[in-house]
Amino acid sequence: MATTALTPTSEGYRRSWVIEWLTTVDHKKIGILYIVNSFAFFFAAGILALLVRSELAVPGLQFLDERTYNQAFTMHGTIMIFLFVVPVLSGFANYIVPLQLGAPDMAFPRINALSFWFLPLGGLLIFSGYLFGGAAAEGWTLYTPLSGGAYSTGVGTDLWLIGLLLVGTASILGSVNFIATIFKMRAPGMTLFRMPILVWTVLVTATLILLATPVLAAGMIALFIDRNYGGSFFDPNTGGNPILWQHLFWFFGHPEVYIVILPAMGVVSEILPVFTRRPLFGYRAFVFATIAIGLLSFSVWAHHMFTTGQVFLPFFSFMTALIAIPTGVKMFNWLATLWRGSIVFATPMLFALGFLSMFLIGGISGVMLSAPPVDFHLQDTYFVVAHLHYVFFGGSVFGVFAATYYWFPKMTGRRLNEPLGKVHFWMHFIGFNVAFFPQHILGIQGMPRRVADYSPDAGWTLLNLVSTAGAFLIAASVIPFLVNVVATFINGERVGDDPWEGNTLEWATSSPPPPYNFDKLPPIRSERPVFDLRHKHDAEHAGVEPSGPEGGHA
Amino acid sequence: MLALVLLATACGMIPPEPHTKEAKEVFWLYNVVLVMGAIVFVGVEGFIVYSVIRYRRRDDRLPTQVHGNNLVEMIWTAIPTVIVLILFVLSTLTLNSISQAATHPGVTIEVEGKQWSWVFHYLDEDGDPSNDVIVQGTALDGANMALPVGEPVKLILISHDVIHSFYVPAFLVKRDVVPLPEGKAPNELEFTVSEPGTYSGQCAEFCGDLHARMTFTVQAMSRADFDKWIAAIRAGETPAPSVPAGGGVVKVSAKNTAFDTKALEAAAGQPFKIEFTNDDSFDHNVGIWKGSEEVFRGEIFSGPATKTYDVSGLEAGEYTFVCDVHPAMNGTLTVK
Amino acid sequence: MSVEAPVMHATDERLPISHREAGMPTPLVGMLLFIASEVMFFGGLFASYFNARAVHIGVWGPPTGAPELEILPIALPITIILVASSFTMQFGVWAIRRGDQRAMRNWTLLTLVLGVTFLIGQIYDYTQLGFGISDGAFGTVFYTLTGFHGAHVFGGAVGLTILAARASQGQFSRQNHVAVEAISFYWHFVDVVWIALFSTLYFLR
Repeated sequence: MATTALTPTSEGYRRSWVIEWLTTVDHKKIGILYIVNSFAFFFAAGILALLVRSELAVPGLQFLDERTYNQAFTMHGTIMIFLFVVPVLSGFANYIVPLQLGAPDMAFPRINALSFWFLPLGGLLIFSGYLFGGAAAEGWTLYTPLSGGAYSTGVGTDLWLIGLLLVGTASILGSVNFIATIFKMRAPGMTLFRMPILVWTVLVTATLILLATPVLAAGMIALFIDRNYGGSFFDPNTGGNPILWQHLFWFFGHPEVYIVILPAMGVVSEILPVFTRRPLFGYRAFVFATIAIGLLSFSVWAHHMFTTGQVFLPFFSFMTALIAIPTGVKMFNWLATLWRGSIVFATPMLFALGFLSMFLIGGISGVMLSAPPVDFHLQDTYFVVAHLHYVFFGGSVFGVFAATYYWFPKMTGRRLNEPLGKVHFWMHFIGFNVAFFPQHILGIQGMPRRVADYSPDAGWTLLNLVSTAGAFLIAASVIPFLVNVVATFINGERVGDDPWEGNTLEWATSSPPPPYNFDKLPPIRSERPVFDLRHKHDAEHAGVEPSGPEGGHA
Repeated sequence: MLALVLLATACGMIPPEPHTKEAKEVFWLYNVVLVMGAIVFVGVEGFIVYSVIRYRRRDDRLPTQVHGNNLVEMIWTAIPTVIVLILFVLSTLTLNSISQAATHPGVTIEVEGKQWSWVFHYLDEDGDPSNDVIVQGTALDGANMALPVGEPVKLILISHDVIHSFYVPAFLVKRDVVPLPEGKAPNELEFTVSEPGTYSGQCAEFCGDLHARMTFTVQAMSRADFDKWIAAIRAGETPAPSVPAGGGVVKVSAKNTAFDTKALEAAAGQPFKIEFTNDDSFDHNVGIWKGSEEVFRGEIFSGPATKTYDVSGLEAGEYTFVCDVHPAMNGTLTVK
Repeated sequence: MSVEAPVMHATDERLPISHREAGMPTPLVGMLLFIASEVMFFGGLFASYFNARAVHIGVWGPPTGAPELEILPIALPITIILVASSFTMQFGVWAIRRGDQRAMRNWTLLTLVLGVTFLIGQIYDYTQLGFGISDGAFGTVFYTLTGFHGAHVFGGAVGLTILAARASQGQFSRQNHVAVEAISFYWHFVDVVWIALFSTLYFLR
């Protein structure tokens, strides 16, 4: 196995680390910038969540007024989706995809850097609403006419729109980069069907971003024109249509949720094989299921609009039901990977298993919502809030933590402490379920979402209190995680190229890799080149033929 | 212990008792879908739990390296397809059934959602709007919609400001109230209440600051009682007179979420004007209350701006003037 | 006259095949992907146009008081000019593929002139229309669609200027001119969008 030492930089090339990080075009550093920036926004949005849950714990307005509460949940959703979960996965992809392809960097390194720097800028613009009379307060979905100039005065919403246009542009440029890299920069021997699954999910995700985000941009520009230039896109009094906003928003918004989940599914598909020592069952089926989900995701958007009375229900209900099928295929393939495996419960694996269970619940609640009559009862209630948190948080965020524990050694040369990792996982897992499972019940019992307060006679108090307790447990779980990260940087266990016995090319170079990534690549004859190399060595030592990589049957 | 927890959860996972004909069908569909989901959950989660216990790493041997199996892939694509199609068919059948529009609704009500209250305007066929029953709610006190049990009710949902949603959990239904452009017909919602009772409702589409307060109730009663209710309101209702120009002008302003005075005066029995200056950049208004009844509600607007309200004549007495958006802002209006 | 390229491009024929980039050059792949996103952006704007048209009552067009949209004297001529500019752009691409950098520069400058003429014509048309972006749904979608198209023409014009300047510096060759190809793709895209827009606004109505 190729083990490389970090090459010392030559005298004339050294520059201060501040300038280095501000001007880098190295995908690895940019990936780390994405991840660190995203976690900062994660904590900010998490505090907003604690504000919301604290206010809702018991009836009555305790310490927030309605408008501040409305800003809090709007900003919480916006920041979590656009400034945490999508960018952090993008950051991991940025770091890992070129390595997994055997490439020296991304196709367009300078655009890669530009894409990153738009993020803190866009995020600050969105938050700056707080400094100028109030942040946006219409929900992250910003429905018109509420978000129009007549009902949302002040610049908070405009700053939100401009900030998000920047973030969206960054996403689109990033997706151009990923697609070009994946098609043009694979190492010799790496055919498309030998790429790691993470790369496939990133490819489909990037395609979704490329095609869906511009529609949101069009909608946001239209709203900006309505708010500031007397436009009539969405104003019914001058010939506009408020429902048009929902169409534009959700045409983007639905692919967006697959943008959020597919890379996390890719991460889980990397981790399960390593920690069960089995190949991913049904690689090809998995690829086709991912592509099917990508395609179908453009055809279901109006299932967010069932109660508007303005959409053709049977079509969207049918397509939404269909998208459950490739999702189920993926779930079964993961299960089959576990079957007869040799499972080790390292922290990345715990988060991956947690993903499977939580995403399962989120997927089931989603299928329940796909039936319009059921949706008529549950839309805009806490059932939807529960559903979205099970898929976003139980799904993607669990995937993010799995990725963090899995690739931290590759990025830093040190492995995070295992016992602390397990403490983090269990606190996080329990806190998450305590916070969000009761919300299904609240929704079923009729509690609407986006309410600053609720009646003490409604019978919702106990479950709200329980949910708040869970939220604080999630917040507390961050402590062992942060302690772990800091302590590991100071004095953590040092590791070599391949601490987990991984399968894919990032484990064929040093931890961290040199700036140019690889001194030497192993032969690429399957989707697990490092596994093959390791077992060729073992086979040579033991005199046994390793099993063939392609077309095996049970 | 675990069984009790599961049972308790299960009770919470069932919707409230359905009280319309349509809701009962939705209730049935929901339970079918829930059971299907529960079976999938138990099956898949059970498999995961079983696997992680049974296949824990015990030694260093490499497990069998199975890359796939086309037959298995086809089976577990086909079975979910069938399940999902069954679900779709059941859902569509239920949807069609609950969407049937009645030829002769027992009562037709124009429901207006506005920031942040409801107005229920009972439409009758006599062509005379001045005797129509109109129930106005406020953000403090939700409007009450009386309905006859057992007859189809048709609601026409209109808004002149933002999108709201008319939601009654006990009816397992909501419909958005959308301010549509002139060329589009407003949303309608039809149902038949099956049991008398009072059912709470709430706006279910985020509509701004006081969205959480935009409540209402639906009170279903026998047709006989309903007719009495209508007649009583008609008898007690005084037609709104047009307010003649002139009369005294009362001035009040609001700044930093407070009125500039706690005492106002007006002459009894004559229309008068309130010149209200809003110095804050967010919404205020002036509403006049007698006890728990709002006798006048001025338009809510955000400042800095000034509007003049026309108030029809009030009987002598002590009233409370209040900002309906911020009820902590209030004072006494003495009419004599 | 062909000029020796100062730097070898990854697709250069002189490179041994094992070291040569296969298929479409990467920057061109990037430009095509970017254009795909732009198609979706205009798709969103077109969807808004058609939605506004579907919900309006009465005749769909400029508000009362403003004249009907006419293809003469401005709209049709500027369309012809923009379509012609696609031809001149392509002549420039063919020139540099032959190695003729001087001709490529001249065709590029001509394309730039035609493009700027289009923009001036568009702006002049705005002053003659008699309605604005805040005059109802039609005015809003009309100005938004044509305005963003114009902004894209402007962006293309910037690109053309850079190409002409680089050609004057002798930076392109038969082997090494991927920027010219990429900008030409963008320019043709901008033209196609205009054809769709023109047809929709002036013929479909």
